Amino acid sequence: MTKYVLVSDLRRCVGCQTCTAACKHANGTPPDVQWRKVLDIEVGEFPDVSRVFVPVGCMHCDEPPCQEVCPTTATFKRADGIVDIDYDKCIGCAYCVMACPYQARYKVDGPSWAYGEQTALEKQRPYDKRIGVAQKCTFCVDRIDEGVANGLTPGVDPAATPACVNSCPSAGLIFGDLDNPDSNVSKLLRENETFRMHEELGTGPNIYYLWERRS
Amino acid sequence: MSGAGPAEVRKVPTYCYQCVAGPDLLTVRVEDGVPTEVEPNFGAEDIHPAHGRVCVKAFGLIHKTHNPNRVVTPMKRTNPKKGRHEDPGFVPISWDEALDMIGGKIKAAMDKGLVDESGFARIAASFGGGGTPTYYLGTFPAFLAALRHIDFSFGSGQGVKCYHSEHLYGEFWHRAFTVAADTPNCNYVVSFGSNVEASAGTCGVWRHADARERGIKRVQVEPHLSVTGAASGEWVAIKPKTDPAFMFAMLHVLVCEHPVEHLDVPFLKHRTAAPYLIGPNGFYLRHADSRKPLMWDAKANAPVTHDAADVDPALLGSFEVANCVEVGPDEQVWTHDRVVGETAHAKLVAHMRPHSPEWASAICDVPASTIRRVANEFLDHAQVGATVEIDGRTLPYRPVAVTLGKTVTNGWGGYECCWSRTLLATLVGGLEVPGGTLGTTVRLNRPATSRQLSAVPGPDGFMNYPMNPTDKDNWHRQPKSRSGYSTLVPLVANSAWSQALGPTHLAWMFQKEPPQGWPKPTYPDVWFMYRTNPAISFWDTPRLTETMADFPFLVSFAYTHDESNHMADVLLPDATDLESLQLIRIGGTKFIEQFWDHQGFALRQPVAAPPGECKDFTWIATQLAKRVGLLEAYNKAINRGAAGVELSVGNKNFALEPEKEHSVETIWDAVCRAASAEISGGEDSEGLDWYKEKGFRVTPMSRLDWYLYPTLADQGLRFEMPYQERLYRIGLELANRMHENDMHWWDTQLDEYQPFPVYHDVPGVWSKVLVKVGKDPKDYPFWLLTARSMQYAWGGNVGVQMIREVAMNVAGHNGVILNPRTAEALGIEEGDVIEVASHLRSVKGQAVLRQGIRPDTLLMIGQFGHWKTPLAKDFDTPSMNSLTPMELDLTDSTGSGADLVRVSVRKVKGGAQ
Amino acid sequence: MSSVTQFRGVNPWRQTYWDGRAVGNFVGGGTGTGFLAIAAAAALAGAPARFLALVGLVFVGVGLTCVWLEIGRPWRALNVFLNPRTSWMSREALLAPVVFGLGGLAVLFDSTAALVAAAVVGLAFLYCQARILQAAKGIPAWRQKEIVPLVITSGLSEGFGIFLVAAPLLVESMPLWPSVLMLVVLGARFVALRAYVARIAGGAVPKASAKALLQVAPAVIYGGHLAPAVLLILGAALDQWAIAALAGLLAAFAGWWFKFAIIVKAAYTQGYAIQHTPARTPGYAGAGGHPGW
Ligand SMILES: Nc1nc2c(c(=O)[nH]1)N[C@H]1C(S)=C(S)[C@@H](COP(=O)(O)OP(=O)(O)OC[C@H]3O[C@@H](n4cnc5c(=O)[nH]c(N)nc54)[C@H](O)[C@@H]3O)O[C@H]1N2
Ligand SMILES: Nc1nc2c(c(=O)[nH]1)N[C@H]1C(S)=C(S)[C@@H](COP(=O)(O)OP(=O)(O)OC[C@H]3O[C@@H](n4cnc5c(=O)[nH]c(N)nc54)[C@H](O)[C@@H]3O)O[C@H]1N2
Ligand code: SF4
Ligand code: SF4
Ligand code: SF4
Ligand code: SF4
Ligand code: SF4
Ligand SMILES: [Mo]
Repeated sequence: MTKYVLVSDLRRCVGCQTCTAACKHANGTPPDVQWRKVLDIEVGEFPDVSRVFVPVGCMHCDEPPCQEVCPTTATFKRADGIVDIDYDKCIGCAYCVMACPYQARYKVDGPSWAYGEQTALEKQRPYDKRIGVAQKCTFCVDRIDEGVANGLTPGVDPAATPACVNSCPSAGLIFGDLDNPDSNVSKLLRENETFRMHEELGTGPNIYYLWERRS
Repeated sequence: MSGAGPAEVRKVPTYCYQCVAGPDLLTVRVEDGVPTEVEPNFGAEDIHPAHGRVCVKAFGLIHKTHNPNRVVTPMKRTNPKKGRHEDPGFVPISWDEALDMIGGKIKAAMDKGLVDESGFARIAASFGGGGTPTYYLGTFPAFLAALRHIDFSFGSGQGVKCYHSEHLYGEFWHRAFTVAADTPNCNYVVSFGSNVEASAGTCGVWRHADARERGIKRVQVEPHLSVTGAASGEWVAIKPKTDPAFMFAMLHVLVCEHPVEHLDVPFLKHRTAAPYLIGPNGFYLRHADSRKPLMWDAKANAPVTHDAADVDPALLGSFEVANCVEVGPDEQVWTHDRVVGETAHAKLVAHMRPHSPEWASAICDVPASTIRRVANEFLDHAQVGATVEIDGRTLPYRPVAVTLGKTVTNGWGGYECCWSRTLLATLVGGLEVPGGTLGTTVRLNRPATSRQLSAVPGPDGFMNYPMNPTDKDNWHRQPKSRSGYSTLVPLVANSAWSQALGPTHLAWMFQKEPPQGWPKPTYPDVWFMYRTNPAISFWDTPRLTETMADFPFLVSFAYTHDESNHMADVLLPDATDLESLQLIRIGGTKFIEQFWDHQGFALRQPVAAPPGECKDFTWIATQLAKRVGLLEAYNKAINRGAAGVELSVGNKNFALEPEKEHSVETIWDAVCRAASAEISGGEDSEGLDWYKEKGFRVTPMSRLDWYLYPTLADQGLRFEMPYQERLYRIGLELANRMHENDMHWWDTQLDEYQPFPVYHDVPGVWSKVLVKVGKDPKDYPFWLLTARSMQYAWGGNVGVQMIREVAMNVAGHNGVILNPRTAEALGIEEGDVIEVASHLRSVKGQAVLRQGIRPDTLLMIGQFGHWKTPLAKDFDTPSMNSLTPMELDLTDSTGSGADLVRVSVRKVKGGAQ
Repeated sequence: MSSVTQFRGVNPWRQTYWDGRAVGNFVGGGTGTGFLAIAAAAALAGAPARFLALVGLVFVGVGLTCVWLEIGRPWRALNVFLNPRTSWMSREALLAPVVFGLGGLAVLFDSTAALVAAAVVGLAFLYCQARILQAAKGIPAWRQKEIVPLVITSGLSEGFGIFLVAAPLLVESMPLWPSVLMLVVLGARFVALRAYVARIAGGAVPKASAKALLQVAPAVIYGGHLAPAVLLILGAALDQWAIAALAGLLAAFAGWWFKFAIIVKAAYTQGYAIQHTPARTPGYAGAGGHPGW
């Protein structure tokens, strides 16, 4: 079996938003739709403050509330763990948006252009299928499927790896197969301390936040 | 995504050099001729310090290219009146008309003689941010070279606002135009406002992330918790501009609280001037005949010259020396037949004694225990005595460093801080050795391509330094440029870069009020401007904008309309980053964290056709050269290497026929071939096509080239630390020159030339300025600071929508950062509109409440406040630049100033929340 | 006008996808099904089924129209039936036609039996509505289990309330039992509301969300329960239908208002949380945080 997960090494992340931009490029998302983004969180009070950069997006949950509530089955979970959306089935009720505790989902009602008028780039990357429906991080499912079909290993071979992961200048995002004990991510989780966000809600999120080496 | 997939997909390699932390390598995905995606260059995974990654700004290039707000035809101004509130009435014109117009002006200037009645060049050019425009200028430098006399001294903020003092002192002490920790090997860094996680590019980000995982401890000392403070082990919230006190206290702990044995004694004895004997007049005691500085040899118990073989120079103590001399300014000589000299190190110990952590604590608002702990951790981590082998050579290993940010190195306090930083490294033997404090590039010394080759023997056992003359016969009484860089600042030297690194704000200030003894100000007949926006970036921007409006003829290369080219007479649309051709040197050791294990060349090539009439810079340069009849001189300049590579390499000659006009591709093909030959030792000669396909070519380079220590050791040279006899003498000479000419307005700056920096109330300087202009410092109780944004390259990409979009995820991009405690006291809530005022004027912005800032400090990220640049003018993000004064009193002796100002704050109205 | 991104930050924000139209569904559906319930009772007691069924269906219908107007791809609306296995929205959608079918028969044939059947299915429909909110894990103010009894009792109260307004138009002498039933469901909603508010005040939702709810809660509790209760008793004592009608209106309005508060005003997202701050130097990790909570 395969289970794709993302590890975000919070020690390495500097909030540069390169991953945010890379996702926008790879997936041609419209202005202000960010399937990946990185938060700038402060904890504590002056002068004992900690500032943390936290990459977020779809957690490709084990028990996705978005899928449970979806009345159309447009939202579905694949055998490899990826939670995806069938844009042709989706009616845009936004119920999944309400069900997602990670603010990972978006819905845009019409086209909007970065500079007011449609540019050659936006013509080249139409997203009309995604108008009026739910959208979110797909774990770059197309790259993964194509990569795997060509015998590549997601998380290892760039062509089969999510764009945001490829782009990270701190190598702070690591993608891989958790069911494979020898994979990069399995190794990282063995050797380091991690947590997952809002685990108490029973969603079984699949972004692991690495915060310290295991002593 | 809907619609059939793209018919044709290409991936084109190129480079990004939007910020000084580059260059970095990327590939651009092009679908059906449309650039759609930026990706890392995975082909560079093994040779690039950041493994072929680029940052978010490089991703912005796609959106930069597609920006419909671009200027896409040459334009001329139809409204002769210039000013912020005048509509320039730009109308499109043909390239022919534009080039004829400019060519005509230049010819006229040439006919009058390129230097005007005041001795200033009639043609000026200003380029922006940290010299990066060079990597986009194509062969334009060859055109400028052909013109010969150019005034580069109208600053854009780069230089005087950059790591300016560091540039000058750094090059002086260890060929360090920019200074970095040896991050890949360092274990402990004290960073005074060096915001590397935002400012050191992808190489910085990657390396520091590795270092953190490895276990480095970085202590970030700064008033606001920057991105770098965030990613550090510890944040120390120091009071603005009190860093000299903190660093003096660290020095105190090292030299006054530890026995000298804890320091790197051999290093101090043989690689520094610590054992040099200082005479009663404050100059080295010198051998009467050879005039070589003297040390005291503990072995022979006798004075010896600095270069004497197998001696044991005393580090501490005073020694009586017979017939010797001291040499002061202007060849003034004191002859001593018997005199007591004290070692420089002993003098240092005495100088530092008053500056205990307890003393500093009150000034910096940092507990003495913290300062002492940091100093001791620094010493402990230094592993004095440890060695490491690099490429077969055993070198000292000192994995500790102190790094400084631009607001620390700049303006008053810069001398103290740069000196202290260099000295802290020196004391533990950590200067220019593995793990320690490194210079990463040279600009003021020649050759600019190699720090090692630039380190040649000079006086007194130190490296040579190309100071501008201060002696009676050679001092530049007549300024060589409108900033008077070579007249006022000996340290800025006289290289191709020196003008731009002079006190460039003086060029602006003196335009209106020239000081006593200065030539009559004159405007340049023609002023070129590219990739800079002084009207936004500099100090006192509204005033500066008015000055710009008086310039008779401004030619601006224009990406979009902006606040500076609003004053232009002609706009020339250049093909931008992804649309034009250029080969540059990569690797080696460059700015900030750009020191590689390889060096070579990378190509920037068109991935898409430029829109409208936008033209490649090389084409523009060639056409201008032709118009003004300098084609031959221009081609010859290219042959000499003005395009980055000399075109005849060994027996191979790729030189261009001087008389002919050559196409852009022909020129760069020649450059590519010469580059291939150079890098292969004359073997290969692959041309443009090869680079277009491969993108870059490198060869391995020894890590020994990261360190200057071996070069000095081999030549038996010493680092000019701790005592600054040379600077002291030069300062006195410069004072003589200026006073002889009845110039007294530079006296405060001249006082800074001290053998040891003398602590003075640096923050107090700002209060004094307020008092001077008749204000009460109490009315301006806050410090306003600035900080880099990783998403922005200065104001260079503010017009790019995607950049604004993603930058908004990072706190502060929407307003003014202040501490909630301060806000509460002033009745301010998150999102309220507040007014921030300096004695000059005020700006408005949203309150952004963050715990990560001192209650007495405010922060405005980056440089915004645009009123013309499309998109950016709709931001609500304020800038400090209209609030910060341009003042002689705020200018240090290197001619730099700092980006901070005293302000008041009040609530204007409730905000969105 | 090019798009100039505004600041969002890391605190929970108010969801904007479900607006007044969504409220319309919960108001219409709740009121309609509640009305059908008491209408069925009335019909059994002899009131004319046709008119009562019609009123109930209109409410439910208006509610469903609101949803239809809200969804992004209305012409695919039929896909809504595809996931009864897990989605309460599919289930609600599947029940709607049944309610209309039965209700329609009641209207056509003025059939009390059909009306009773419609009312029963209507109650199931109402239950689905309650579970729809509870299943929305992303909105803390909705996912509380206390929301279920609240939505059900509120739907009943709203429907009964409207019945008190509408009934006088049918029968010339109004019996006492509707007021009594009204009192009972009001009491039930009072208890459910108190439980829900206690949960909210207990820190189960982001600060901003609690603020929004606790602002309106007192007015709803008193104006929407105690006041109508008093009026009902008064109305009964003075045998004044108008007063009972006013009470009904108050009870219904309070329910609508509080639904609007829950679905729009207090619908803050979960926000983000970290359990630890990372160790930027080994050994320097710290405690985490949950901004906005
Ligand atoms: N992404 C990006 N990178 C860049 C650039 C860019 O525009 N964008 N520009 C490049 C250029 S030209 C330059 S000059 C460098 C500048 O690189 P840095 O020197 O790193 O510049 P800043 O981030 O402006 O430094 C400001 C920091 O200094 C701190 N600070 C301010 N005042 C004081 C003080 O009095 N004491 C102390 N200890 N700290 C203080 C602030 O808190 C802030 O964190 O960045 C280069 N790199
Ligand atoms: N508040 C504040 N001000 C600062 C600083 C700070 O930290 N805070 N830092 C200071 C420092 S250290 C520096 S080095 C300076 C740098 O400041 P500048 O030297 O002024 O550099 P930029 O702001 O990048 O100028 C960019 C200009 O070039 C134009 N441009 C961008 N791309 C292209 C192109 O492809 N073609 C053409 N023709 N034009 C282009 C943009 O439209 C913009 O007008 O800023 C200084 N000013
Ligand atoms: S690219 Fe990497 S470092 Fe930058 S924000 Fe994303 S995860 Fe963090
Ligand atoms: S993160 Fe949200 S969208 Fe993604 S699977 Fe989990 S619930 Fe669904
Ligand atoms: S919006 Fe689409 S994906 Fe989301 S719940 Fe509705 S139908 Fe399913
Ligand atoms: S995995 Fe792909 S889709 Fe998801 S955030 Fe990263 S780039 Fe975007
Ligand atoms: S760090 Fe500077 S040079 Fe490197 S990719 Fe980013 S913007 Fe370009
Ligand atoms: Mo700079």
